[in-house]
Amino acid sequence: MSVVKMENTIKNYKVGKVEVPAIRGINLSIEKGDFAAIAGPSGSGKTTMLNLFGCLDKPTGGKVFIEEHDVIKLSPDELADVRNQHIGFIFQSFNLIPVLTAFENVEFPLILLKKDGPRARRKKVMDMLASVGIADLAGRRPSEMSGGQQQRVAIARALVKNPDYVLADEPTANIDTKTGHEILDLMQAMNKNLGTTFIFSTHDPQVMGHARRLISIRDGQIESDQRM
Amino acid sequence: MTLSSLAIALLLLIVFDSYYSGLDLTTYEKLINYETAHLKFFPLGYKEDIDNLPIENAFDPAPVLSILRADPMVKSAAPRISFRATLSNGIYQLPVVGLAVDPAQDETVFTMKQSVSQGEYLTGTEEAMVLGIEVAKDFNAGVGDTLTVLCRTKYSTFQALDLPIKGIIWSDDYAIDVNSLLINLDLAQRSLDLGNGVTEVNILLKDINQIDAFKKKYAGRFPQLELWSWKEVAEDVIAHSEGHAMMKNITFACIVLIALIGISNTILIAAFERMREIGMLAAMGMKRRQIVGLFILEGTLIGVAGSAIGCLIGFLLVAFWTTQFGFDLSFATRSWGNVGFRSMIFRGAWNVELILLAFIFGIVVSALSSIYPALIASRMEPTEALRKY
Repeated sequence: MSVVKMENTIKNYKVGKVEVPAIRGINLSIEKGDFAAIAGPSGSGKTTMLNLFGCLDKPTGGKVFIEEHDVIKLSPDELADVRNQHIGFIFQSFNLIPVLTAFENVEFPLILLKKDGPRARRKKVMDMLASVGIADLAGRRPSEMSGGQQQRVAIARALVKNPDYVLADEPTANIDTKTGHEILDLMQAMNKNLGTTFIFSTHDPQVMGHARRLISIRDGQIESDQRM
Repeated sequence: MTLSSLAIALLLLIVFDSYYSGLDLTTYEKLINYETAHLKFFPLGYKEDIDNLPIENAFDPAPVLSILRADPMVKSAAPRISFRATLSNGIYQLPVVGLAVDPAQDETVFTMKQSVSQGEYLTGTEEAMVLGIEVAKDFNAGVGDTLTVLCRTKYSTFQALDLPIKGIIWSDDYAIDVNSLLINLDLAQRSLDLGNGVTEVNILLKDINQIDAFKKKYAGRFPQLELWSWKEVAEDVIAHSEGHAMMKNITFACIVLIALIGISNTILIAAFERMREIGMLAAMGMKRRQIVGLFILEGTLIGVAGSAIGCLIGFLLVAFWTTQFGFDLSFATRSWGNVGFRSMIFRGAWNVELILLAFIFGIVVSALSSIYPALIASRMEPTEALRKY
């Protein structure tokens, strides 16, 4: 069963008066439980694909389906709702809110969801912080944590609302290799234990080694799609 | 930054306003205490010709005074004669305004006696005069010196009185200090051929807020007289004060503008600094209106804090500085002309309404100035915000 699907998707960017193609007619379906890496050199269209999967951008042509939703037909508010309810994000540079503690950063998406009361939120946040191994850092602010610890908070934040899939744009780019492997191991464990679908972009061959599905792209087109 | 610019704008506003209000208050107090009282009865038609200080229609004040003194609204009443005179020492001449007073009655309305800086005040019987301090300075004259007062009687005949200076008044009221000589009422009535006549009856009410009610009550009561409030008598000075009010409003408008630009700018800079954060919030599913709301809430909270700080410091400055010590403007006051006062030290006055208004205004301005940056931030595409910043 696919959680997100591209059908002949095209995405062009306007640079001045010139249209620059970033994605040139991709057909791709990400299945529930996938742990998929989108790999390719810089400028190949990885981030554009993630933005389209993340409802952060709309395609210029073709279609993108998230669950049953056709992205192109959704209003900005509806896109925000889809992001809120279905998608978790992990960013290259963590993007935690600096004035909030680890606990508050993880709690934030739950507050936006407005589903749980404070006690239920607290339990979910503490369970999630424990499962990413940083329950003892709940009261710390991002500036008081290492890069690896911050990325664990970011993973907890992406997963706490139990999304259909998590998008991670080069999640290990800003941390050292050893911590990078730890983060990928953690993502794998979460994928296995919680069944959460992960889609991440990378151009690092070692990171690609963790993937169970490797989608290589070049010049905005799929070069290969292999299950490992 | 936003907080401090707002706080400074508001405290400046409060301090300026305190001074402007203080100026007005000083002006009005001096006018009432030395020149106008709360109200005046003049002969009919006097006001139109007030600059010439006509004495032809002088009236007997006794019937008016007896009615006024029985009126529970009235605190006190006193007659006066204002007349044109020329003061001379045989070499120089100076036009002055003569004020003829019955000291015992006059003291119940005006505060001349308390302002005698040299010599003594009039007692009611002596043939002597009291001069404003600047008039005495112009003649280089002191207590005990004699000067000649030249004036015209009711019938336009000339009259000359050689009068010794009994006292010198330093009132800080421009008209009194620079222009006036005081003599006894009885002496003036004899010298000007006025019989029992006076040119005005001054009235001090128990409550200044009753002026309009009093005017209504006495409308048409004395057909030969007309009743004027202090504001009507001193319309020139009131016009000056309105000038102050306009200055105050311009200052107010400038402060509003500076605060608006300053706050908007700092919030905008803060928004750009936090674009990545905004992009992340949008990515996590925050809607545009929620982002706008977040920024406006932030602006409002900054407004509350900045206004509270500004108003508190402004309040403390008014409490412990402007109303206590004031500004020494003696270097400028002499050359200002008659703006109703020539105080050496200007003390501020309380304007609690303005402080409360400034507090609310600060919050509203801050909230309003955050709307534009909030819209800019919310219109940013999350991908742009994440990539560029």
